[in-house]
Amino acid sequence: MALQDIGNRQTAGVTLRRLHKSFGAVEVLKDISLTIEPGEFVVFVGPSGCGKSTLLRLIAGLEEVSAGDVFIGDTDVTEKDPSDRGIAMVFQTYALYPHLSVAQNMGFGLKAAGRPKPEIAQKVNDAAAVLQLTDYLDRKPGQLSGGQRQRVAIGRAIVRNPDVFLFDEPLSNLDAELRVGMRLEIARLHRELGITMIYVTHDQTEAMTLADKIVVLRAGRVEQVGAPADLYEDPDNMFVAGFIGSPAMNFFPAMMGNGGQIELGGSRIPAPVLSNPPAPGTPLTLGLRPERYQIRTDGPAPHGLTFQVEFTEYLGSSSYCYGTIGDGLACTLELPNGFRPRRHDVISLGLDSQNMRIFDQSGLRIR
Amino acid sequence: MTAIDLQQAAPTARGGRISGHRILFHVTAVLVAAIFLVPLIWVTLASFRPTAVSMQPPIPPWPGDNATFENYIRLENFGQSILHYTANSAIVAIGTAALTVAVALLAGYGFSRFRFPFKPLAFILILSTIMIPFQSILTPLFLLLANLGLQNSLFGLILVYTTLQLPFSVFMMKNAFDSVPQEIEEAARIDGIKGMRLLWQVMVPLVLPGMVTSGLFAFLNAWNEFLAALVLLSDQDKFTLPVLMTAVRSGRYGAIDWGAVQAGVTVMMIPCLILFLILQRSYIRGLTAGAVK
Repeated sequence: MALQDIGNRQTAGVTLRRLHKSFGAVEVLKDISLTIEPGEFVVFVGPSGCGKSTLLRLIAGLEEVSAGDVFIGDTDVTEKDPSDRGIAMVFQTYALYPHLSVAQNMGFGLKAAGRPKPEIAQKVNDAAAVLQLTDYLDRKPGQLSGGQRQRVAIGRAIVRNPDVFLFDEPLSNLDAELRVGMRLEIARLHRELGITMIYVTHDQTEAMTLADKIVVLRAGRVEQVGAPADLYEDPDNMFVAGFIGSPAMNFFPAMMGNGGQIELGGSRIPAPVLSNPPAPGTPLTLGLRPERYQIRTDGPAPHGLTFQVEFTEYLGSSSYCYGTIGDGLACTLELPNGFRPRRHDVISLGLDSQNMRIFDQSGLRIR
Repeated sequence: MTAIDLQQAAPTARGGRISGHRILFHVTAVLVAAIFLVPLIWVTLASFRPTAVSMQPPIPPWPGDNATFENYIRLENFGQSILHYTANSAIVAIGTAALTVAVALLAGYGFSRFRFPFKPLAFILILSTIMIPFQSILTPLFLLLANLGLQNSLFGLILVYTTLQLPFSVFMMKNAFDSVPQEIEEAARIDGIKGMRLLWQVMVPLVLPGMVTSGLFAFLNAWNEFLAALVLLSDQDKFTLPVLMTAVRSGRYGAIDWGAVQAGVTVMMIPCLILFLILQRSYIRGLTAGAVK
């Protein structure tokens, strides 16, 4: 039984047009417009309270839209009931019916829709086989582990044969090891079902590993939309640059100098090529990923910086090194395997100007 | 100083520690249990004794000396059969429990899940009626029921008991619904279940312990209630068991027939005990629902 046979249905894209949502006087989502292509895996990511779950709930129809339109495929579903939108949702807390068995949980939607029993049994068995739940069909959710419960919740969603799959932080309640396993499972499901999936998480690792397209939200606004690599390499602003990537990008206060140079903590380093460089003397922020540098062993670099080691975290294949550059600006570096500096060691860093990201005072990227 | 040898021949045997605390705990528990059980045992034993000795301290004599069913026979021969009065009580208690659960289920669901104007005020008003001693409104209640033609009727009594029981039950059911995660309801909405079907197929199984608890409370209170039944019921064949007790109490020449009363009380206890034993698991789950996540 292949997964495609379960999901043999045209998947649909999702279009959000000028979406607003307020709870009383509090506006939690402000003018969100977004296009999600059919079959795409889109991740909404952002800090707590940024409105990502609310946005998902608006698409699901669990919250009412204050203004704007939600389209699934070509259909305007803004006023439709959740069950009429062709969606299925997986919740963080699994939200299984505790009084029903696994099989009844998975078949509940079909039973509610009055489908014949053999069809329900067939679909439940197919989904259970895919999710390795066949041996557990008669158990109650209370007798299952967290990972199994989440698989049942996913199974319940698959059985509904949705156009769009919605996930609301589905892995947050699982331990670290299970989380990696389930992440792969969800990626496999997406590959094999080919259904549009929208996934909410605050974990940027999940976002980076799963997404075709990441939507970064902050305070009810979309900060940037793009492929994981685009957000990592080419962030639009300091928020996205700092949120995507672990450990986070280093930010240093700096100043535009003369002759295409940047003054940073008493050093002068060549600035990256900017199409619209700010005037000399303009304060700005220099962003640098922790792994984008070279270690110079041939003495102090002419266009580099010195890094003084404070503390090292050993991670096996690499280590994170916390310390300071220049006049005591905090900096984190990812050190290659085998390089184990001690406290107060000084490392000479060579920087490549094309790895620097320059932001203006308001945090917007200067390209 | 020598290091501790981790590879001893055998691990040190550790017996249970018998501390003074534990003995004190058990003694206290037995005493408390005795305080609760002694009156029940007293009543039960006394009900099997002849009238002449039924007022004496319970032990001795044991009822085995001259055990008799004459108290029960007198009880049975009073007015209609005891089964008739038990049926009256059962109708009132079961009716009250059913009506209370039905209304409290809907009210609790509404208060827990729906937004409507003046919701907190309405809830506080309902709760505050617990503070009114119902004896103080017995006269207006009587007049009200009389005007409705419901005095001296078991149905009228059910309505009164349900009204008295509802504030607590609504509170109980609101808590029960509050402890059901919102997501389960949302999952059901996505599965296409809404309205009464949502309540019946998804929510009711999850709040069942709360329903059992409020039903049990309503049943026991209605079963034992005396004053309202005494005031509202005037025909002897409508009497509930507590009212019957006062009627059988009066023996010949103003004497009090303790034997018959004790037999009646013993009979009254039986359904409560059976009900409680059957439902106690759900009952305890209902009381603690939502206490801890």
